[in-house]
Amino acid sequence: MASRRRMLLKVIILGDSGVGKTSLMNQYVNRKFSNQYKATIGADFLTKEVQFEDRLFTLQIWDTAGQERFQSLGVAFYRGADCCVLVYDVNVMKSFDNLNNWREEFLIQASPSDPENFPFVVLGNKTDVDGGNSRVVSEKKAKAWCASKGNIPYFETSAKEGFNVEAAFECIAKNALKNEPQEEDYLPDTIDVGGGQQQRSSGCEC
Amino acid sequence: MSTSSSSPSSDEELIFNPNPIPKPIDDELTLASLTLTESNGNGSVGESDRYGGAGVVLEAEREGEREGPSSPSSSGYAGERGSSSEGTSNSRIGDEDDDGIQEVINDHDGFVDGVGDSSPSASWVPGKRHVDEDDASISWRKRKKHFFILSHSGKPIYSRYGDEHKLAGFSATLQAIISFVENGKDRIKLVRAGKHQVVFLIKGPIYLVCISCTEEPYESLRGQLELLYGQMILILTKSINRCFEKNPKFDMTPLLGGTDVVFSSLIHSFNWNPATFLHAYTCLPLAYATRQAAGAVLQDVADSGVLFALLMCKCKVVSLVGAQKASLHPDDMLLLSNFVMSSESFRTSESFSPICLPRYNPTAFLYAYVHYFDADTYLMLLTTSSDAFYHLKDCRVCFILIQRNNNLAFDVTNKGSSCVATVVRYHSCFQPLDPANTTVQLWIQWLVATVVLLRSNVLSEVQRSMLEGGMRVEDLPVDPLPRSSMPHRLSQQRILTQSPEIFSESIVGIGGPTGLWHFIYRSIYLDQYVSSDFSPPISSPQQQKRLYRAYQKLYCSMHDKGIGPHKTQFRRDENYVLLCWVTQDFELYAAFDPLADKAVAIKTCNRVCQWVKDVENEIFLQGASPFSW
Ligand SMILES: Nc1nc2c(ncn2[C@@H]2O[C@H](COP(=O)(O)OP(=O)(O)O)[C@@H](O)[C@H]2O)c(=O)[nH]1
Ligand SMILES: [Mg+2]
Repeated sequence: MASRRRMLLKVIILGDSGVGKTSLMNQYVNRKFSNQYKATIGADFLTKEVQFEDRLFTLQIWDTAGQERFQSLGVAFYRGADCCVLVYDVNVMKSFDNLNNWREEFLIQASPSDPENFPFVVLGNKTDVDGGNSRVVSEKKAKAWCASKGNIPYFETSAKEGFNVEAAFECIAKNALKNEPQEEDYLPDTIDVGGGQQQRSSGCEC
Repeated sequence: MSTSSSSPSSDEELIFNPNPIPKPIDDELTLASLTLTESNGNGSVGESDRYGGAGVVLEAEREGEREGPSSPSSSGYAGERGSSSEGTSNSRIGDEDDDGIQEVINDHDGFVDGVGDSSPSASWVPGKRHVDEDDASISWRKRKKHFFILSHSGKPIYSRYGDEHKLAGFSATLQAIISFVENGKDRIKLVRAGKHQVVFLIKGPIYLVCISCTEEPYESLRGQLELLYGQMILILTKSINRCFEKNPKFDMTPLLGGTDVVFSSLIHSFNWNPATFLHAYTCLPLAYATRQAAGAVLQDVADSGVLFALLMCKCKVVSLVGAQKASLHPDDMLLLSNFVMSSESFRTSESFSPICLPRYNPTAFLYAYVHYFDADTYLMLLTTSSDAFYHLKDCRVCFILIQRNNNLAFDVTNKGSSCVATVVRYHSCFQPLDPANTTVQLWIQWLVATVVLLRSNVLSEVQRSMLEGGMRVEDLPVDPLPRSSMPHRLSQQRILTQSPEIFSESIVGIGGPTGLWHFIYRSIYLDQYVSSDFSPPISSPQQQKRLYRAYQKLYCSMHDKGIGPHKTQFRRDENYVLLCWVTQDFELYAAFDPLADKAVAIKTCNRVCQWVKDVENEIFLQGASPFSW
């Protein structure tokens, strides 16, 4: 047999406008950075194939717009996400404070089956700005918040310098592997003509 | 009887389907990017107007190749395609200033949908093509007809062209569009973008999308998506819905492993198989007595507990029998024969596969036993018993034994099941089987049927019919002969063609007399149709496809609930004169020389109908259980 099947992971990036979501994605996928700011409108989608522990993954990255008026994408948008990346700007306190809202918004909309253990990743971005002098959220503070929310993995990143970006996304794949559901037999019903009734099998345990 | 020579060779290994074939893994890093954007804060994606009072028409346009500073959203992502380890793709939906999707090279050449795109037997190669393409490839964008299946979370399930994972971004875009409309408590049906139509079909957690610039009517494309969905249900049943209910992240692609060919061959058949839009099936022309003989064999099997027994030649029915009250919908027959014919494993070995008939019962599996007699002719038995599954191996060995041993085959045909039971019991290869067990008896019946068919003349008649073909417009009788005069009209007609009177008349136009080029007759009561063989000037696969598309359009307009019901339609364009005639009993679609006279065409249609009536015992399966759906 060839190596195990490819996995497709739906990854949603959330966070305030301007924290660097699009830049992170762009740095990760294209290894490119632009200083020009251009608001994401609606959503951007990027895919990237990665190999991790002999498994091939396709990350389907949903980059969202932070603006209020696009939140209407709503339930359907978040449906079936495998991982949610929360991004804030270490130089903007408000963006950190809002992480809680983003997390809750996601859990409400996506309503994952096991919200306690849903894989989140938190990224504190723009660590390069001013050589770190304009920083207002300390690593300690961010880590404490992550710990309080069920030990969310935390990464400090710079989309501009490409710092830690790769590691952050690798963590996403790692998380998904951990959460991979057991593959079980697919057992739909069979028709029972004699009895006239359908015999219910145990159903599909996937 | 000799037992030493009977062990099966390994290439006859039993194969259960669906049979996951691991896809080749390509270790290229790939990026596909899609941007769902909004222009002037106006939301072109959300811009909607009403379509036909029911769904929503979105006017969305996708831009062509745009990479550069003028498009900030794309420029940021533009990597170099073809660089050592990375490819990029970039496209947007709903951008402001753009000129539609893309120019299509040519309507009938160039990039046609489906490479080769020809008649079933000709150059079509099964399986998926252009796996390296993604939505950034120019070639991908120029394909005239795309089909996608995705899940309600935007995960790709199937794409006609290109690798599904590479199209994950595109798939996400489709989902975003669907969701956007869904959020407005509405349902998206169709997006028109220049020459392109984007047709959506939402089936619970499964989304199906067709993007086409073939100018087929919306109803046709939707019907094709319905069939595509049916094909998926045939492979997996509707139980997949439960998987999505339990787990929205559910990825169903592993369950569909190796079934690419099934979908691509179905999509290909939209071009050449009129059953895909007529919702009727067609029979292989056969002498009445021959079909009766085949039916009798199948009936014996059906009586022993089989739900349906079908003897098919390619996608044409030789005979079919259903258990009491059970009837088979023509769409199910289409999907079933497509599944069987496109899966190589059925051809190479005796196979037993779970399948679901979406129109019969979309939630449950049946079990199909398939045996090929030759490259085109196969027997299908559908049962509800999964037990039979486990006995297959033994029975298969038994069958090979019977096939190889002439004396035994003779015994089987003459002494029937008791003889097979003996073999089953005494052959050392088998687990001991209990001949009193109903499943075992069922299998024995099947074996007997197979052997009986092999030894009858049915299969050779099937071969002959294949070679001779069906109704040809050139053979249309000038003066309908009295009904009883000829038992084998189809073949007799062929001789008549050589008579000078007919020849002189058919010289008036190319093709048949009075410029008749082709016809399809659909019997409403029987749910069957007969289509004349193609002959010049409709000779190339391209012309055939074009004619089918014209019929399709005609079919849609005749069945348009808003306008209909029409009784007749006469249409003339630069390609043909098309005549459609619908009565309570039948529908006739006929194509004539574009210069054909209307009155003469109508008269010719009457003659076609009379001809069909005269030979109905040979071209239709009579007395099959009524298909009341
Ligand atoms: N110095 C610095 N600037 C960044 C970084 N990430 C993003 N930016 C800039 O911040 C602005 C907003 O970035 P963007 O990715 O569009 O944010 P988004 O709204 O979250 O998608 C842009 O001008 C980027 O160039 C970073 O790590 N360091
Ligand atoms: Mg952005």
